[in-house]
Amino acid sequence: MIPEPQTRISERALVVWRISGGISSLIIWLMAGGMITLGVIFDWPYWIIGVIFFIALTYSYVMILLLPKLRWKRWRYEVREQEIELQHGVLIIKRTLIPMIRVQHVDTQQGPLLRKYQLSTVMISTAATVHEIPALDMHEAEELRRSISSLARVADEDV
Amino acid sequence: MSEPKRLHPIAAVVNMLRQLKELIVPLIVFVVFGSSGDGGNQFYLIAVAGGLFLVFISGIIFWYRFTYRVEDGELRIEHGLFVRKKRYIPFERIQSLDVSEGILQRPFGLVKVKVETAGGAGAGEAEAVLTAIRKNEANEIHDLLVKLKKSTHAVEEGEQIDSKETVIYKISFSELLLLASTSGGVGVVISAVFAFFLQFEEFIPFDRVFNEVEQFISSGLVFISIIIFLGFLLAWVISVVGSMLKYADFTLKRVDDDLIITRGLLEKRQFTIPLKRIQAVRVSENLLRQPLGMASVFVDSAGGSALNEESSKVLILPIIKKQKITRLLEPYLDDYQLNFELHAVPSRAYIRYLLKGWFIAIPIVLVVVFLFRPWGYFSVALLVASALWSWLKYRDAGWRLHDGLLTLRFRTLVKNTVFMKREKVQSLTIKQSHFQTQKSLATIDAVVKSGHGGSGGKVYDLDWEDTKKIYDWFSREED
Repeated sequence: MIPEPQTRISERALVVWRISGGISSLIIWLMAGGMITLGVIFDWPYWIIGVIFFIALTYSYVMILLLPKLRWKRWRYEVREQEIELQHGVLIIKRTLIPMIRVQHVDTQQGPLLRKYQLSTVMISTAATVHEIPALDMHEAEELRRSISSLARVADEDV
Repeated sequence: MSEPKRLHPIAAVVNMLRQLKELIVPLIVFVVFGSSGDGGNQFYLIAVAGGLFLVFISGIIFWYRFTYRVEDGELRIEHGLFVRKKRYIPFERIQSLDVSEGILQRPFGLVKVKVETAGGAGAGEAEAVLTAIRKNEANEIHDLLVKLKKSTHAVEEGEQIDSKETVIYKISFSELLLLASTSGGVGVVISAVFAFFLQFEEFIPFDRVFNEVEQFISSGLVFISIIIFLGFLLAWVISVVGSMLKYADFTLKRVDDDLIITRGLLEKRQFTIPLKRIQAVRVSENLLRQPLGMASVFVDSAGGSALNEESSKVLILPIIKKQKITRLLEPYLDDYQLNFELHAVPSRAYIRYLLKGWFIAIPIVLVVVFLFRPWGYFSVALLVASALWSWLKYRDAGWRLHDGLLTLRFRTLVKNTVFMKREKVQSLTIKQSHFQTQKSLATIDAVVKSGHGGSGGKVYDLDWEDTKKIYDWFSREED
């Protein structure tokens, strides 16, 4: 096994992911509620209602409890002098290497939810690809952005 | 060359024609639907005339406001009526140079020059086009580009400024014929033949019922399918002639540190790509050419936009015996070792290739069998075809590491072998699912820049140890 990258993303990411999972589950529950109402009005067999209920329940469990945890556990990154290494993915583990000299620019991005929890997302762009580190502590992200751009600047090489 | 200059007035005409081409469909729709009414006829006529007039005026204004000049090692272009746009392109940032001689330009001894940069603010924005300039001016720009590079060279090494030109490849007539007849147009023919036989199959049950009316219908079907077939044949002949005109006189040269490609009979094109700018070398074998042992070679360039694939994937050898590629190109492509002896993927990977194909095929077969009961069972053949296809994919997958060069081979529809230098790879990812972990396999995905976005290679289910080797090779960390 190749040694895993060392740094984890902020633990508050869990909270944010759970909240956004909660929001999407809410929408699913509304839809399920509508379907169940229809089912009661039009006398659908009970098992359909059961299935709808079960789907909504599973969805909420996966999106609120299971997925954020697995995702957070897997997410690691490491910024070294000459490269950035990322590891993520729940079902398929993805390990990516981005050489510093290939980095074109670094962005940080923050939605309302992330802002509330003092988090932001770092986006690293090469000439051909964009890589994202989600939900880092705001100051950490800022620091990371600065250090990557200063490290990337050292190697002034063309495309 | 520092005075701002206008293009040749023919540029106005070219521009007008281009706009007309874009307008032609709405215009026809407008005229056809417009003239059906009785009273509004005149109004429509006036509107169309007005539209044409606007196109005419805008062509002239475009020409009038468009200036270019070469200053301080930059190509400076300014244009626009209300919004003045200026684009300054430093010569050392030019990714490739595309000179073409269209039908309109040729009588006046003019050329169209397209300069590609790696920038990509938006689709189609990574380039500057000089629609019609005199040939010697284009040569001047080309020379400036070359001289700039050479002057930095000369300072470094103090060597003689003398351009060295070698012709690497020139297409022969038989190759041209083979190229034209095995290019995309053939797909049309195959589908035509398929359509023809499908028709055939459909009217067999008709024939069984010896009813006059139905016989008439079936012979009508024969007639229609023959017409369709002839139509496709005609389309194919046109496409063959078209690509013969396009690739006639295809020549690949190396002049100093640039590759120069010239081709075309009616529209002559010259394409210059500096060797340093090559992001990857790609050898493609399509299904028709592979059995003949033929392949085509492309280089990925960082220039070019999303809309214009031709300038990001540059064809350098349109058709060639695969065995000859190495000997022909290796001396001229610095640091590219075109070795086709690759490590295969382990045999335990085949089952995954097979299942991945069946994953798509099985639902289709189930649906077809379910819907078309007696005949649908034939769709089971799809499973066999899919298995064969997977086997091809599995057999063609491979990798090789040599010094600074990563070679990946994989098949989508076409068999691709991609040669990538370490310093040109933008990012490298290995992916491993739970099932892959159990079999100790992993997928590797290397991205190089190609035009607006990325391209590169992706090979599924390599041995985990091999992926690790590639990953370590790419990693800059010493540990």
